[in-house]
Amino acid sequence: MNGNGYRLGAIGIISTFFIIIFSTVLMPMVIFRPEATPSHNDYTAEKSVADPIRGRRIYVREGCLYCHTQFTRLQDRGYGPLVKAGDFRYETPHQLGTARTGPDLTNEGGRMPSEWQKAHLIQPRALKPGSIMPSFSYLSERDMNDLVAYIQTLGNNRKVDKWVEAPAEYLPSTWTGQNLAKNNHVDTSSDAAANAGRGIFTQNCTACHGLNGEGNGPNSLTLLKKPANFTRPFFKQYTDQMWYYRVAEGVPGTRMPRFGLNLTQEEIWYLVAYLKTLPQDQEVLIDSVDEVNKVDHIKLPKLTNQLYEPHHGGHE
Amino acid sequence: MSGILDKLLSDKEGSASRNFLLSALWWSLWGMGAGLFASMEFVNPDLVHNVPQLSMPHLRMWHVNAVAVGWLSMAYVGAMFHMIPTLCKNKLHSEKLGNFTMWAWNGVMVAAFCTLLNGNTEGREYAELGALLDVLVVVALCLLTYNVWMTIVNRKVQKLYVSLWYFLGSLFWFPLVWIIGQRTFVSLPGLNDAIIGWFYGHNILGMWFTTVGVGLMYYLLPRLTKAPLYSHGLSMLGFWGIALFYAPTGTHHITQSPVPEWLKAIAIISSIFLLVPVLTVLTNFFMTMKGRWHMPVNDMALRFAVTSCFFYLLTCLQGPFQATRWVNWYLHFTQWVVGHAHAALLGTFSFIVTASIYYALPRLVGFEKWHSEGLIRLHYWFKLIGFIIFYFALTVAGLVQSAGWAMGYPVDQWSNTLAPYWFTRSIGGLLIVTGQCLFAYNVFRTIYTARKANVKAKTREVKV
Repeated sequence: MNGNGYRLGAIGIISTFFIIIFSTVLMPMVIFRPEATPSHNDYTAEKSVADPIRGRRIYVREGCLYCHTQFTRLQDRGYGPLVKAGDFRYETPHQLGTARTGPDLTNEGGRMPSEWQKAHLIQPRALKPGSIMPSFSYLSERDMNDLVAYIQTLGNNRKVDKWVEAPAEYLPSTWTGQNLAKNNHVDTSSDAAANAGRGIFTQNCTACHGLNGEGNGPNSLTLLKKPANFTRPFFKQYTDQMWYYRVAEGVPGTRMPRFGLNLTQEEIWYLVAYLKTLPQDQEVLIDSVDEVNKVDHIKLPKLTNQLYEPHHGGHE
Repeated sequence: MSGILDKLLSDKEGSASRNFLLSALWWSLWGMGAGLFASMEFVNPDLVHNVPQLSMPHLRMWHVNAVAVGWLSMAYVGAMFHMIPTLCKNKLHSEKLGNFTMWAWNGVMVAAFCTLLNGNTEGREYAELGALLDVLVVVALCLLTYNVWMTIVNRKVQKLYVSLWYFLGSLFWFPLVWIIGQRTFVSLPGLNDAIIGWFYGHNILGMWFTTVGVGLMYYLLPRLTKAPLYSHGLSMLGFWGIALFYAPTGTHHITQSPVPEWLKAIAIISSIFLLVPVLTVLTNFFMTMKGRWHMPVNDMALRFAVTSCFFYLLTCLQGPFQATRWVNWYLHFTQWVVGHAHAALLGTFSFIVTASIYYALPRLVGFEKWHSEGLIRLHYWFKLIGFIIFYFALTVAGLVQSAGWAMGYPVDQWSNTLAPYWFTRSIGGLLIVTGQCLFAYNVFRTIYTARKANVKAKTREVKV
């Protein structure tokens, strides 16, 4: 090859690369300009209380994006509505995330009370046993409030109808779901069915979930992942199929067994009827950042040396 | 004063290359150590409390930047500074400029250490460095490019060996990719930011780590086996294939996000087409090795290089596979991807860089024997076994995660099942870091004794 060959090569390298930059970098910038949709996160709702815009900077600073994603996908369950292209109009730098080591936060706002979010930042394992999220107790009071305000604005313009839905094979949209409904002779909203389910609950569920379904049965003491508290508002949105699915297939990763193996379909439907009647507790979800102002200091139990080192002694 | 300046900006032949390689080794200890520490926080999240600098996300920023910009990139530059003059049969254009670049680069790394661990980040994955550092890196890259290109322009052999093609290409692409990818002084709407972010995130790998790494393989394999390259025609096909198909693949990282479908299609199709250059390149390597497979038994540098080729095969078969829509649908967001990323940067390019250091340092510093041949073998096995454990832990963890999510189990609940894999990964990481420490110790002892021997020889000369 002579000098001309190299010149051709150099031109080749340069032009290929610029064609690629043009098609995959410049063209999307020009063609792909989605208008902001009404469902984007609104950070300007109430600035006076705690600043969600500053909170977003803290979210970036603390590197939350390495474990938490911020876009819901078609195949995701339990993360609320799908995002649209225009939702990200004001998200710079983007926090879409790459790995889902922790849950998706697209629609996290309003899902948990601000006090809960704050306590969870300070000591995640106190609220979610087994969680591997780092403790962010080093954040200042202001940082913490702003960060919570930011979290509470995530998805605040998206209407969340239901967080959870049973897999398709339990829904009337599939033939397995239709069969399930066809073979069900229990009226799950009747008092009689609920009464019948009460006995099944007492026999099978109370050891972990407690007599009132509050997740405080004797076995709960020994479990890392605590049994569900059915009186939480979260469970009030469960559909019949969702209840059935959970009872029948259990909850992997926890001690909840697959009751489909030892209960008949009829028994599970009776149980579902009973579970639906459990009362709702007084937990209130906050849907406005106003409420952040009312957050008190988290009262975690004071640990003494004795509690840390029971065999050490001498610290009376 | 000028004495110190002469020492810092030495114009001794090979000093820039050596300094780059040693700096790379230094930052690798910090980068890999941070990675190990972060992985231990997955096992025990309460390992440290109330120390923001040691919280997992901050460690991760530093880990990625230290390993990518510090360890791999600096070692690449060091290796290029040695290999390019050798291939051109002349000297590096300016050894002084090379040393200045080295100091600038080290300055960037020190500043990165101070800023990233405190969370001074731009919040863009792989582009975390702050504005000032972004600019400094560009300056360093331009100086480097100038130095290397001038060396090649003034070469004494007419023909350009394929490694030089790769180096030339990389040094043209990488500064541009870096400038486009940092997005320091622009504020783009979220999804456009993501598109450019992944153009950059994938091309820092494709147009820098892969292309320079493959260039190193092309240099080392024929050198170490003393065999001619199997085919120069194939090597050109591989080069043009990478140049054409690698750059547009970035969007396959966000296939389920609401970015335009045509962009995803370009990315996925190019990802699959990547098999062409990869298999071409590897065919070339393996045919060069034909009849010489016994050589890695005794030649440790060659053994590192060959291992790197095998991991390259693994990485690049996995990459197109997981870029396809259906597989991506299942595997995205899981630890499988983290395992894949490490197969590329740790399995493939760390190994080839290590081979380069084992090859180049004796020639640069002027010694014939390493302090301990056994330590090199130990380094190899620690790193290989450590990496295999690490890789399989993450891959299986990824499959467990995706199986759970596909069945609809909530992430936070299902993640409890990953505890054993986090633990296994830390064990693998511990082996890798131990191997790297043995490497550094061996290098330190060798150079120290070599210098002492040189001094002795000199003093003897004077006496006689």
